[in-house]
Amino acid sequence: MNQNLFASFNMPMILGIPLVALFILFPTMLIMPSNNLNNNRSSSIQQWLIQLMLKQMMTNHTIKGRTWSLMLLTLITFITLNNLLGVMPYAFTPTTQLSLNLGMAIPLWMATVLMGLRFKTKATLAHLLPQGTPIPLIPMLIIIETISLFIQPVALAVRLTANITAGHLLMHLLGDTTLILLSTYLSSSVITVIVIILLITLELGVALIQAYVFTLLVSLYLHNNS
Amino acid sequence: MAGPEAEEQFQFTGIKKYFNSHTLTGRRNCVLATYGSIALIILYFKLRPKKTPAVKAT
Repeated sequence: MNQNLFASFNMPMILGIPLVALFILFPTMLIMPSNNLNNNRSSSIQQWLIQLMLKQMMTNHTIKGRTWSLMLLTLITFITLNNLLGVMPYAFTPTTQLSLNLGMAIPLWMATVLMGLRFKTKATLAHLLPQGTPIPLIPMLIIIETISLFIQPVALAVRLTANITAGHLLMHLLGDTTLILLSTYLSSSVITVIVIILLITLELGVALIQAYVFTLLVSLYLHNNS
Repeated sequence: MAGPEAEEQFQFTGIKKYFNSHTLTGRRNCVLATYGSIALIILYFKLRPKKTPAVKAT
């Protein structure tokens, strides 16, 4: 049973060939760009959602920060679609893999830091010391702020991984419990089925929220450095 | 957050003009001084001669 619990987090393979590229590229097939001025309903809804996200995220950015619009929109769309597709039963969720999330978090964070060091060197260095710090605390606080800076990408990646993984594990556990209770206590299995339905609703919300939080934090780091 | 206009109210003299936690320049210099000190400490421990124990007579 333990093996079955974590089996959904293993990379799907066919004849020893990992299918990770297929799973990561699949969500892109759901977004169909169109050259028409008046599109069908599906494309219109996608465009409306993208415009909504664009206005919400990029309004407070400078001109330099707005050059990241395409990157951030792609990021939020990618993570949202991956998370939502993973809520389906027996689906593999790429965002449960820490390697993928670190692969997204570290380059984006490092790009914001390097951008800050390149274009606003004085301000970026000065931000490592909070204003008004008492003199005896200055060296310690600089070291603490440096450590918190380097923890940012790790926190980004681990937050997404842990939230999605925890939800999927809970759904598995409750599913197994329901199956066992079906043959013994039928009334208790009804309760677990109701809990699973509520949990799936929660997981849909977590999928959207975690994608938004990831992108919002990257946007915040960009805003601080641009 | 305090901007450049708030720095004008701080008129420091002496070493505090360059190393303080109120102006942007002061904060930057404190950060650079801290990083420089850490680098010097690491360099000192790496480059100091290691004491070799006396060889026993056979």
